[in-house]
Amino acid sequence: MPVISLYAGLRKIAGTRDLTLEGENLAGIIRGIGERYPSLVAAILDGDHLRPHIIITINGQNVDPERGLEIPLDANDHIAIFPPIAGG
Amino acid sequence: MAGWAEKILDIDLNTKTYKTYPLDMEMARSFIGGRGLGARLLWELVGPEVDPLSPENVLIFANGPLTATGYQTSNRFSVSTKSPLTGTILDANSGGFWGMQFKKAGYDVMIVRGRSEKPVWIEIKPGEVSFHDADDLWGMRVRAVTAKLGQNNNRRNVLCIGPAGENLSRIAAIMNDGERSLARGGPGAVMGSKNLKAIVVEGKDRPEIVDQERFKFLLYETRKLLAASPLTSQALPEFGTVVMMNIVNNVGALPTRNHQQSQFEGAEAISGETLTEKYLVKNASCWACPIGCTRVSRTEKVEGEGPEFETTWAFGAACGIDDLEAIIEANALCNDLGIDTISAGSTIACAMELSERGYIDSDLCFGRADLLARSVEDMAYRRDFGADMADGSLRMATKYGHPELSMSAKGMEMPAYDPRGMQGQGLLYATSNRGACHMRGNMLGLEVLGLPKLIDRFQVQGKSSFVILHQNSSASIDSLVLCKFTNMGVADEYFARMLSAVTGIQYATGDMIRVGERVWNLERLYNLREGFTRADDTLPPRLLNEALTEGPSQGWVVQLEPMLKEYYRGRGWDENGVPRPQKLAELELANL
Repeated sequence: MPVISLYAGLRKIAGTRDLTLEGENLAGIIRGIGERYPSLVAAILDGDHLRPHIIITINGQNVDPERGLEIPLDANDHIAIFPPIAGG
Repeated sequence: MAGWAEKILDIDLNTKTYKTYPLDMEMARSFIGGRGLGARLLWELVGPEVDPLSPENVLIFANGPLTATGYQTSNRFSVSTKSPLTGTILDANSGGFWGMQFKKAGYDVMIVRGRSEKPVWIEIKPGEVSFHDADDLWGMRVRAVTAKLGQNNNRRNVLCIGPAGENLSRIAAIMNDGERSLARGGPGAVMGSKNLKAIVVEGKDRPEIVDQERFKFLLYETRKLLAASPLTSQALPEFGTVVMMNIVNNVGALPTRNHQQSQFEGAEAISGETLTEKYLVKNASCWACPIGCTRVSRTEKVEGEGPEFETTWAFGAACGIDDLEAIIEANALCNDLGIDTISAGSTIACAMELSERGYIDSDLCFGRADLLARSVEDMAYRRDFGADMADGSLRMATKYGHPELSMSAKGMEMPAYDPRGMQGQGLLYATSNRGACHMRGNMLGLEVLGLPKLIDRFQVQGKSSFVILHQNSSASIDSLVLCKFTNMGVADEYFARMLSAVTGIQYATGDMIRVGERVWNLERLYNLREGFTRADDTLPPRLLNEALTEGPSQGWVVQLEPMLKEYYRGRGWDENGVPRPQKLAELELANL
């Protein structure tokens, strides 16, 4: 099952750092998150779209929010979800 | 004219005298303040014959027309000089309170020339400048000097050097308000070379504002925008800049063990999340800043501001160290000794690799958190091997026959992004006028964070236009002088409108970007006059030739050459990176 890592303020909302969820694509995974952690998915999605400045990577490669969330996943994929972050 | 104080304070340490004279307002209109004005004045004052550590070099402290008006983040100021680390033009800027106080003392610019025979400190009050013997302060650390000279955030502010500056470390910082720093490129060594320990300012009056109603409206608008942006209202205050650690590591762009890898297995242990959970005491902020990104952290041994992301990376991943407590303590030590944390950490990382490869005889090796504090102290006091580290990684690695192990550009240590995983950042480092720098534009937003829009971080073609835009924008903001974090919630347009409201001169957004382009080209001309060439617009061979062997950036080197060609064209420079006459005329630089 894909592993989902949460960062910054999302950890407090979910009460955990990592999740494992079944899902054939990213949209399915996020729907699964919504079932278990409604407040977490509310922090990530606005309707069917990612909220501004939410960053998702799959195996370290950015998901382009403009291309949607119907991205196929493999069982060993690592998904990272970041809330709005800034710095440097 | 409102905004500007219209006055330069010119100090000669040879004679311990000073004079004041009007700021050239045509120059001010074209270069605004801070970095821009500093570059323009340095062009006149310090030529290629001047050694950076000689009395003929100058320090130019400059604020901007918005400074001390109360506009959000209008606390910053800059110092310009010829860098003893790189030999390039240098400016560094800092927040806190000192810049605001200096403006309220009635000056836009202070030029410090010459060299005092004995240690001295300067006290500036409105209409009054005095020189004081600093024999009793010489050798003291930053916190002690700052307290002794009466630091009071809203009334009296202290800027000083620590032992690193006194000992002419080429990576020495100038510190202000105790823990803020004009860090990069060694301005602390220039101040040390002048036997100048400290400059204390007391101000009085805020600058005049032409259109108060418009000013108040824009102040209100900006406050709303900063509060509405999750970046400036939540991300920065909640986790500080160190929150970058996990994302940069996640995408395989976190330089690790002197750039031998680009992911660090200990990133979580040194992340913003861990800092907040275990060591955060409270937030702090600079004058007139509603963002409050500063972290005050505490261990059993120290309490102080920071560490920031770059510092945590430099003493952490770069050195293969996952001991956040040791990193916090190294940061506090750097602030107290007056030394640039990025260059210090990166130089230690370089020494660790030199040692592991057997090129030097040292106990330094990756992961030795217990050696961080000693290494920083050795650098600041030029003790033992610290004498080599004190001059930065390139001089040190060159001395031992392996300059290729210095992770620097133009001699300045690179910050916390491996450009093999962020191609645009590579071009940015290679072309940065003060050497490798993430504050001369930063592609992190576009290439990783998707701010304002995500672009392919591995793409090469077309990348130069983004780099140029960011470089010009950063030069513009540095000339105002505002904090770049403001720009995460507020568009450049607001800065132009605010500048117009304060000064009465109408600036459009395009005018501000043009100011930035003018400053960038002037800095380029300065470096060309110093003898820098196209060959200096490069990166360490490791980044150009050694592909990463694992992680999300696996297989990549920096494709610099095609980006550089495109960049020169985009800049209106010839194939050797020399601005064409037409470009200089367009920027009103043809007479230089």
